[in-house]
Amino acid sequence: MSSTPVYSVSQINLYIKNMFARESVLNQIYIKGEVSNCKYHTSGHIYFTLKDSKGQLACVMFAGQRSGLSFRMCEGQSVVVLGNISVYERDGKYQMYAREIHLDGTGALYEKYEQLKKELEEKGYFDAAKKKPIPWYAKRIGIVTASTGAAVQDIINISTRRNPYIQLILYPAKVQGQGAALSVSRGIAALDKLGVDVIIVGRGGGSIEDLWAFNEKIVAETIYRCNTPVISAVGHETDTTIADYVADLRAPTPSAAAELAVCDIASLIEALKEYDRRLHLRMRQKVNQERAKLSQYELKLKYADPVYRIRQERQYLLETEERLKALIKQRVMKERHRLELCIERLRALSPLERLRMGYGYLERETGESLSSAESVKKGDRLRITMKDGKITAVAEKIEKGRPV
Amino acid sequence: MAKAKSLEASMEELEGVLKELEREEISLEESFKLYNEGMKLLKSCNDMIDKVEKKLIVLEEE
Repeated sequence: MSSTPVYSVSQINLYIKNMFARESVLNQIYIKGEVSNCKYHTSGHIYFTLKDSKGQLACVMFAGQRSGLSFRMCEGQSVVVLGNISVYERDGKYQMYAREIHLDGTGALYEKYEQLKKELEEKGYFDAAKKKPIPWYAKRIGIVTASTGAAVQDIINISTRRNPYIQLILYPAKVQGQGAALSVSRGIAALDKLGVDVIIVGRGGGSIEDLWAFNEKIVAETIYRCNTPVISAVGHETDTTIADYVADLRAPTPSAAAELAVCDIASLIEALKEYDRRLHLRMRQKVNQERAKLSQYELKLKYADPVYRIRQERQYLLETEERLKALIKQRVMKERHRLELCIERLRALSPLERLRMGYGYLERETGESLSSAESVKKGDRLRITMKDGKITAVAEKIEKGRPV
Repeated sequence: MAKAKSLEASMEELEGVLKELEREEISLEESFKLYNEGMKLLKSCNDMIDKVEKKLIVLEEE
């Protein structure tokens, strides 16, 4: 016992894991089986078990590998899983780590799909420059799909709801099974020849086999050669067929195709009304603008009129005259006033005024003027003139000196 | 039918007419011309919307 080495669990698990890793077959292996216990974890990882009649194998596809899965995996599906097998040390279990998962039987189809896609892509069938624009007002719409089923009903419902005046022309095509591709292809060609504005080609969802007609070369070529814009609407949003790549526009679903192909008549009519309104408004604005301009010109013209100018000049002259007159009148009044003041002052100084106030004027009887008492002698005859008469007087006494 | 303008072309033209009409410097005469043109386009647009509800036509396979 003591000579035999003892290992821990984790040691042995690691040892086995390394054994698996060295086995190159296990690192890149396709395994076929039936899906069971399939769980899509919220983390994005998918846990499932592959089984056949005799055994089962635990599998996981990590979120990072999800591009390797193009369909929704569910119980009972027969699938082929590509991946490696390794040991999960914590549980001491080996499991498959999936990188790609294909529905069994579709592997070959998938390869064909990839091959055709590559071929057509190289031929330029998918070139964006070759895509025809979808007219936004289509009057006639061709539909290539099964005459029964949800797809055609969805297209009819949505189209007529958006525009009840639209003409829909259905080419009832076989969309799955033997001869489907040929039927679809004929339908597209027939509608193209008939003359429609847009062709919707499609069908509802289904398995990859169900949708296969839309991955056939003949359909791709017919779409590519079609002179009418083609909208493809195959299956659900996640299914992309060759027809989707070649079509001028890819709609995720038949309903969406109808939305894209048919113009909403209500908003179109609304838009036309808006044009009508704007057209009127602009015209009215223009007329008003011109009218305003006209009245400006009218005003300018009025100012330029010679009669108006003469009238203006005359007016100016009159006003000037008035001003002149007023000025001179003012001046005259001022002078008159000054004169009156002078007169007042003069009057106060006049000898006659003195007389009026009771003074007398003294002179010799001879009329000789007299201005001082010194020149008067006793006995001289003097004449006094007063306001109301003259008095002759004789000088009696002469006192010299200043009067009191 | 071949000669008739498409609805989208007419509406585009209408847009152009309106833009032209919005310019201030165009003459009144010109604006009247544009206005008439716009009204004609508008009428043709309305006429183009063939307001008859249509039934689905199902093509017979030959």
